[in-house]
Amino acid sequence: MAMIEVKNLVKTYKISEKEHGMIGYVKHLFHPKYKELTAVNDISFSIQEGELVGYIGENGAGKSTTIKMLTGLLTPTSGEVIVNRIVPNEKRLENNRQIGAVFGQKTQLWWDLPVIESFALIKKLYDIPTREYEANLKKFTEILDLEELLEKQVKSLSLGQKMRCEIAATFLHNPKVVYLDEPTIGLDILVKEKIRKFIKDINQEKKTTVILTTHDLKDIEEVCDRIILIDKGKMIYDGPKEAFKNQYGKHIVAEFVIQNKMKNITLETSDEDFEVIEESEKNVKVKFNHDKLTIMDIVKSISNYCEILDMHIQEEGLEEILKEIYRGDVIYDT
Amino acid sequence: MIHKIWAIAKQNANESLYYRFDLLLYIFNFLVEITVYIFIWLSIYQNGNQILGMDFQQITTYYILVVSLNPIIVWGINEGMGTAIREGEILRELLHPISYFEYYFGMRIGELIEATIVGILTFGICALLFGVLPPAGILNFLFFVIVVCLAVVVIYFFELILGMTAFYTDTIWGVEVLKRAILNIFSGMIAPITLFPGFLQKIANILPFKDCVYTPINIYFGELSQIEIVQVIGKQCLWILILYVFAKIVFHKAIKNITVNGG
Repeated sequence: MAMIEVKNLVKTYKISEKEHGMIGYVKHLFHPKYKELTAVNDISFSIQEGELVGYIGENGAGKSTTIKMLTGLLTPTSGEVIVNRIVPNEKRLENNRQIGAVFGQKTQLWWDLPVIESFALIKKLYDIPTREYEANLKKFTEILDLEELLEKQVKSLSLGQKMRCEIAATFLHNPKVVYLDEPTIGLDILVKEKIRKFIKDINQEKKTTVILTTHDLKDIEEVCDRIILIDKGKMIYDGPKEAFKNQYGKHIVAEFVIQNKMKNITLETSDEDFEVIEESEKNVKVKFNHDKLTIMDIVKSISNYCEILDMHIQEEGLEEILKEIYRGDVIYDT
Repeated sequence: MIHKIWAIAKQNANESLYYRFDLLLYIFNFLVEITVYIFIWLSIYQNGNQILGMDFQQITTYYILVVSLNPIIVWGINEGMGTAIREGEILRELLHPISYFEYYFGMRIGELIEATIVGILTFGICALLFGVLPPAGILNFLFFVIVVCLAVVVIYFFELILGMTAFYTDTIWGVEVLKRAILNIFSGMIAPITLFPGFLQKIANILPFKDCVYTPINIYFGELSQIEIVQVIGKQCLWILILYVFAKIVFHKAIKNITVNGG
């Protein structure tokens, strides 16, 4: 039995259509017009216990809407969600006991009180046994470096400090599933690293299932094993991270250090199967599809026009692949 | 369940009590309000020493009790609920294993802790400055407290229903104004209800708001017989039931339609 089972999930919103300006708003008061917007369109996936899944897509692709349906906050328009045998939006409280959630810009901490008071409240709300609470608190304090923060008022914390506390608060009750909606937004690299390490450590130790949405693909590279990619509400990829790179990352960028350039390479090779993306007297950068050409083909071709001194080959990272997908350069099968 | 509500209540009280300066301002504000009321009634009483069967000392006590009860009855959870819904801050109230009603009941009790402190301090200072009549008897005082406590529960459900309109309208300002207007008129805060024209009195008698301020003050003065007090308590319990059921219906409708604002 999968930990999370999602079948043909759909969410449509009714959004009010207002004309701009004062007159438009007044008109809307008497004749409200609505249009339907499909935020999530027929998504299905199944996630096993202990998986670390990166849920990615552009802004407005439907990531947060999906997460909110998984947590039971939103009722799906159609389709079903089952989390550890519970339908979240029907048995919200029961579901809340087994999950944890972080939403990037929102907080569950009490603004005017020391952090530790918020933790103590969570202990009571979730009925966490004292021993378990103490053990978790100690461990989290260590990994996330919270020692100095616990007695501070939440409002006096920086963004990174607050997020570290937020993450700790979310894992205190040993949830089976944790949803992290952009947990690293706006954070510096050191804090991001701490948070990534924390997620990996806890996942290893407690087999916590984690779904992570992010725009920082380093998060995905370092934390996740599996990627689910959605675009305009539709799922366009679901599978292992490595397979994703193999499927889409077929482009290689080769950078040559050259001398004695004889001709303009970009012009000379314009009808070839590769693309020159940068060219100067000392450098040439070439992008090509590895399915069609080998590195030797490129070397041969380039050496017709200059002397090659050195070369450097780079496979595409997740970020470049995604950029291409978002731009529509890569055609995907749905 | 009760330990969770109490935990929320303490948390909320601690948070609001953190602003001690606010507390002083509230009390100062109430003192000014009482002084104004007293001067108005002083000029009215120059023409005779009995109005509505109350002498000046009684009317002074009436307004001191009104203003001391004000924070207990009128402060509430609406503003917090509205802001939370508007800004999509739903983590605490919808993602913890505590029901929405329990969570906000805890918040209301937390608010009540601060309000009671302000109320008692206001009453104490006024007693020293202007003098007040003591309650008619220990039993009367006890019933006064009971009726006020029940009134808080009634008001809590009333606020909950008003607050949940924010799920549809995304704003709370309008209903907050409405709530204050209703409370001011029908609870007897502006003036004793016997001062109203007949049809308003009839409406006030049906609604539960009269029993939030006007009735408990009359119990304090010993104007109600024990049978009448029991009737008041019965009426309050009935209203709690009605508002509870209504709030449940509204919540179950609202929760299916919520759109959580913001990324």
